[in-house]
Amino acid sequence: MVAEIEARVGLPTVLARRSAGRRSQLGRAALLLAPSLVFLAAFTYWPIGQVIGQALTIETFGSDTVGYGLGNFERLLADASFGRALLNNLVYALGTIVPSIAIALALAVGLQDATRFNAGLRTVVFFPVLLPLVAAAALFLFVFLPGIGLLDYYLARLGAGSTNWLGDPDIALWSLIGLTVWKNAGYYMLFFLAGLQAIPLDLYEAARLEGAGAWGRFRRITLPLLGPTLAFVLVIALVNVITQVDHVVVLTKGGPSDSTNLLLFYIYQQAHENYDYGKAAAATVLSVAGLLALSLLSLRTLERGIHYEA
Amino acid sequence: MSRIASAALAAALTLGIGSGAALAATDIEMFFPVPVEGKLAKEMKNLMDRFNAEHPDIKATAVYTGSYDETNIKTRAAIKAGRPPAAVIMSANFVLEYQINGEIQPLDPLIQADGQTPDAFMGKFWPALHGNARFAGKVWAAPFHNSTPLLYFNADHFKAAGLDPNNPPKTWAEWVDAAKKLTVRDGDTVKRYGLMLPGNYDYLGWVMTALTMSNGGLYYNPEFGGEVFYDTPSMLGALTLVDNMAHKYKVMPDGVTDGKAVSTAFFAGQASMVVLSTGSLSFIRQNMKDNYGVAFVPRNLRNAVAIGGASLIMPKGLSDERRQASWTLIKWLTSPEISGHWSRFTGYFAPNKGAYELPEMKTFIAENPDAKVALDQLQYAQSWFATYNTVAVRKALEDEVQAVIAGKKKPAEALKAAQAKADDIMRPYVEQTALNLPN
Repeated sequence: MVAEIEARVGLPTVLARRSAGRRSQLGRAALLLAPSLVFLAAFTYWPIGQVIGQALTIETFGSDTVGYGLGNFERLLADASFGRALLNNLVYALGTIVPSIAIALALAVGLQDATRFNAGLRTVVFFPVLLPLVAAAALFLFVFLPGIGLLDYYLARLGAGSTNWLGDPDIALWSLIGLTVWKNAGYYMLFFLAGLQAIPLDLYEAARLEGAGAWGRFRRITLPLLGPTLAFVLVIALVNVITQVDHVVVLTKGGPSDSTNLLLFYIYQQAHENYDYGKAAAATVLSVAGLLALSLLSLRTLERGIHYEA
Repeated sequence: MSRIASAALAAALTLGIGSGAALAATDIEMFFPVPVEGKLAKEMKNLMDRFNAEHPDIKATAVYTGSYDETNIKTRAAIKAGRPPAAVIMSANFVLEYQINGEIQPLDPLIQADGQTPDAFMGKFWPALHGNARFAGKVWAAPFHNSTPLLYFNADHFKAAGLDPNNPPKTWAEWVDAAKKLTVRDGDTVKRYGLMLPGNYDYLGWVMTALTMSNGGLYYNPEFGGEVFYDTPSMLGALTLVDNMAHKYKVMPDGVTDGKAVSTAFFAGQASMVVLSTGSLSFIRQNMKDNYGVAFVPRNLRNAVAIGGASLIMPKGLSDERRQASWTLIKWLTSPEISGHWSRFTGYFAPNKGAYELPEMKTFIAENPDAKVALDQLQYAQSWFATYNTVAVRKALEDEVQAVIAGKKKPAEALKAAQAKADDIMRPYVEQTALNLPN
């Protein structure tokens, strides 16, 4: 009876004591997390909320901000310039990611042995990474000058005529792609070099004993074991494709005739040239959503086939 | 600091001890863009030091805010944030937007408080500059430094091609003829172009304005910011001339050439004639090795170009002291002496006519006849195009003109597309103004 009473009374007290303990623990955790949470909220989540809010409102001339539903998204999708920027960004993504990763991988495999000669070559290849993109773009303004620029100067020696690298709408985007590959390949090489260090050498020795050739060793050992690195580099490259437009700003401002306009620069134009904050916010929401989806997808699919252990 | 200063000042005034010696200086900030970095920014600092030394009751700071477009963005952001600068050197064709949006204050009350009429105040500046500064019945800006497009030519190339450098082309017919003679070919490839025009955004719109105006056109409605005249015979003639230069006579590069590439090609002797701003005069004078000359932009129906450059504006919402201090700074910067000094340093012409009456300016003009040509063209200059959402409306045309220069479109269809796009951009303003009718 007493036990029963005790049990009846005690259970809740124990529970209460336990939950109080958990609460104080939670409180301590919250307290410890608070500084970073405050900053995260103030500088990440709050702006994200604001952008979403902005995407759903419109501010036209002579009237106050009003709710607009999905109107901004409709206007955005109807805008030919947005379509052009999206298409350009896709071409730019394929044109920069595939070659820069391929080159980075080739360079990393080729330069992985730590000889003095290789170290020198690595430095040379890594050099463009040290330049800020703005500075690189300013340099390439003179590399790309038709007729007089460095590129045409050497091409002329090979008998080619002058090319309007940045002024021809068919070529301009490819010029920017070339600059980006030159700039990023060395950076990605660094990740691959690190990834290669983690592959145990005995695997290669075993493969050699089995009579596997260089290509076989690369395809069967190096490539699969570089999976996690590849997935990581791919995500970095995807993010770069959306977030780096310094060269567009310096070299072309999206021209000629929108042929080099990329999403981020389009957003800038809508916000600061057209003062169309609703459309800019809608474009931001769409591109960030697309980027998130792509990153998740690439991490998921690549991870499925990844061997994390050697 | 400034709050304490003004509190102290207020206390001093209420106690009746406000003597001539100010207790503390009024702090003001001025945003300024520099089209050419480095030297000009340094010279602006020198000017501010001089101003502050001459005006102990004011402490003015010049804040470098990047290009014209970036200055526009930063000014707008500062106004939105409720911390407007006391004065801004703003691209002259953006002033209208600030007036449309009600973000700047008219200068008339300040002018009148000085015992001057607005007519007398504006009378100090060249007539061509009035349109972008005084409109809708009020004075909104004070011109600071200005320019017009100018034809620069390589005099050595002229002589070698049998042309007279003392008699540069005046009409479009002479211009085409000269460009043909100056172009050097080797089979199908061009070794030297007779003509290059800057085709990057902003510059291209300005050059097209000059060509259209030279063809009798207006380009935009100077009285109403909701109208541009893109799909018109005057613009069609101008754009067809450009198209012909590139594709019929092949004396100009196919595709867009950036303004920087144009000046580089001119220095390298790869372009014999170029159209660039008078603001580039000092730059070209210092870098051109061959002999060169300058001339008016050639005409078809009349001599006419649009002005460029920047004016001083004053945002709304300043305290009385700051407004007075800002006004003192604006008057000082646009005075004949400072105006002339800045003009000689940069190559822009001085908006204040009085600057050219000063002896040092007379000597300078005598020594640099090219500066005189720029000045002479001023009497044919007109207002710079300014509309609701100027940059986007300008880009609507530039994208299409670029397509024509690259051989992707024909002039007539390009202009129809440009007009449609521009009308679309200006619609919100037009609906609130010209199409806002009584029920």
